[in-house]
Amino acid sequence: MKRTALALLSLALLGSAALAQQVTIKINGYGGTDPAIVGDLINKFVKPIVAKDNINVVYEPLQGDYNKALTTLLAAGNAGDLLYLPGETAGGFIATNKLLPLNGLVSTTPFIKSLNSVFTVKGQTYAIAKDFNTLSLVYNKDLFDEAKVAYPSANETWKSLAAKLTAVKKALPSGYYGICLQPSFDRFGAFAYAEGWKQFDSAGKTNLLSKPFVDAFTWYTSLAKDKVGVTPSEISQGWTGGCMQTGKVAVAIEGNWVAGFLKDNAPNLKYGSTLLPKADATGKRGNFLYTVGWAVNAGTKNKAAAIRVLNALTSVDAQNYVLSEGLAIPSRTALQSNAFFNKPGAGPENARVVFQGATDGFVTGFNFGPAGADWSKIVDTALASVLSGQKSVKDALASAQADMNKLQSR
Amino acid sequence: MNQKGQTATAYLFLTPFLVVLAVFFCFAFLRTIYYSFTDFNLFDPPKLIGLKPYTDVLGDSSFRRALANSLLFAVITTTLQTVLSLLMAVALNRKIRGLSFFRAAWYMPSITSSVVITLIFLWLFQQQGVINYLITQLQSVWPLILTFALILIAVQVIQVLWEKSRKLPVGSFDPALLAASALIALFVTWGLSAAGVVTAHEVVDTVSRPGQITPFLYQYFADKWLSIGGVQIISVPLMVIIFMNTFTTIPTLMLFFLAGLQNIPTALYEATEIDGATPFQQLINVTVPMLRPVSFYVITVGLIGTLQMFDQVAVIGNAAPTDTLITLAYYVYANTFKSGVAPVYMASAAAIILAIITLLLVTVQRRFISPDAV
Repeated sequence: MKRTALALLSLALLGSAALAQQVTIKINGYGGTDPAIVGDLINKFVKPIVAKDNINVVYEPLQGDYNKALTTLLAAGNAGDLLYLPGETAGGFIATNKLLPLNGLVSTTPFIKSLNSVFTVKGQTYAIAKDFNTLSLVYNKDLFDEAKVAYPSANETWKSLAAKLTAVKKALPSGYYGICLQPSFDRFGAFAYAEGWKQFDSAGKTNLLSKPFVDAFTWYTSLAKDKVGVTPSEISQGWTGGCMQTGKVAVAIEGNWVAGFLKDNAPNLKYGSTLLPKADATGKRGNFLYTVGWAVNAGTKNKAAAIRVLNALTSVDAQNYVLSEGLAIPSRTALQSNAFFNKPGAGPENARVVFQGATDGFVTGFNFGPAGADWSKIVDTALASVLSGQKSVKDALASAQADMNKLQSR
Repeated sequence: MNQKGQTATAYLFLTPFLVVLAVFFCFAFLRTIYYSFTDFNLFDPPKLIGLKPYTDVLGDSSFRRALANSLLFAVITTTLQTVLSLLMAVALNRKIRGLSFFRAAWYMPSITSSVVITLIFLWLFQQQGVINYLITQLQSVWPLILTFALILIAVQVIQVLWEKSRKLPVGSFDPALLAASALIALFVTWGLSAAGVVTAHEVVDTVSRPGQITPFLYQYFADKWLSIGGVQIISVPLMVIIFMNTFTTIPTLMLFFLAGLQNIPTALYEATEIDGATPFQQLINVTVPMLRPVSFYVITVGLIGTLQMFDQVAVIGNAAPTDTLITLAYYVYANTFKSGVAPVYMASAAAIILAIITLLLVTVQRRFISPDAV
């Protein structure tokens, strides 16, 4: 009896020693659909790898405004061991010195170079891109068929696309539109890049009155004339994916995320995807590289374990899963020839186009610079005022440039 | 006289409140004052830099706009809500049928969350919202309304002249004649509409031709300003917020005035009635002076509340350009919560300036409306 009790006691002691060694890595990321996706990713691909090292992984989503919530947690020293680092706000977070430089800890070579550069400041890389997206031209096949207009192709220029959209609008009844135009830089910017526009000059200033920007701005907003183009709010939608869902808009400019959205919300919609049109002046396309990286909290007590989890999250298997689910395009160079891209269907087709978009023409990482979201709000306001017919291109850009000068001289 | 031990008991009961006040107000306030003289950015240890945060803030055009917006908002909203709540209270203090229903109905906006009301207003005022829809409908049926009005006036004039020619005592707006005129106008308009002589405009979504109109799609939350001599005074989005804020605060303030009205002796009104005072004279010479202590409270609460207005601006967020709506409270928030490093020293300086302005305004109005003077 005594022996049994002793054995049980020693077993319990051993168990508790093992438990004491177990490390929990907390991950901070977006709310919304991410907890389900990342939860799956952790359970299927991360836990099996790191469990043998006694590492447990917990995902803690930050609801609401992620950037503000993360700022508070980092300042208070309560942020997770691993975090999502959005490409567009990376600059502000890297400046806090609360992120661990990954040089020498994680190999960046297997990942797409341009994506690494989004998270690199003064030679130090602070995050590994978990995946990426670019923009593609998504079109409603039924509306083009009904209007007897040929589908947009990869050879389209701004001029030829505008002609097709006008023809579609004319052929369809009232309430149908050619294109859904988001009044924001995150879509329009790609067209400015196509004209060869640079977001910041060598002194870090932005010129909204340069010819390339004005030309792109004029073309984009000219589509609103005669209601060929419509803003999402005009048809009670919040974004251009919502416009597509209604089935009343022939074309939208979106990333690979639209495939999952349309699969769930408009399963019967027949759509196709192609590359963005080329600017007539340069013969080139422009595009954004949207990305979110995995960064390590510099204050983590479990640096080695956090790096292990980061490696598991960006492993070949994990990225293959993200791609096959139609969520995003993997950031590993080796996976760019994945068989998924060649599968038939609207989803894989869109993924293929989004992947091609990353290397075709003038492609730039989606970033607002050091002023953060205030920078883009100036362009967004100008776009909204012209698209809604309140201001002329000239007036809107003049006041936007004045605001930009104020912002950048602070 | 207090017995020994009573003071200690009083302090004991006050302790929880005093602790909360000390931690969440006094400590926070003192820290804000300290940060307003440093270069604090949330992450690096603060270093004293003297008055630079204040000069930086005053030199920031965004701050100046926030200051102008806050002051305009405070003055206009406080005036509107005080006057309207007083009138509402006077109206609801009368013995009218269904009084409790009206009192309850008017109180509803006050118990609804301001975030919910803001969302409802966003919906009402969006580009394809109810307000624009109603204006579009009004524009399309405008010919019918005009026809109805013209016929109504014509018939009324004829009837009044006819009655007068018979030497009958009749006013221009005689209700019986007006009802008959309205009925005739309605039938004639209906007849003209059925015959196709007068028709409503057709609403089309492309460029309109004669007889057609495009939908009214005014963007209320856009970069629209009321300017005088090229100087932007007040933005249209801010006017919408003033309207919304007045709508939601009137009920609460009306309740204070109602309570105050109950305490005014009826003998005063009876005396003025004997003297032959009109209801307006009674309002100005009896009600308003007797309500002075309540008015002082209402204006003070109104000023403090409006100077710190934040939630409506935050909820509307990106729906409106920053300059059109930014207030001092929002400026403080926006400069504290950015992505990563933030100019918290500027936010602190702005918060201190806001506190000083609030104190100043309340002191100024105290000089004009003393709560004790009756």
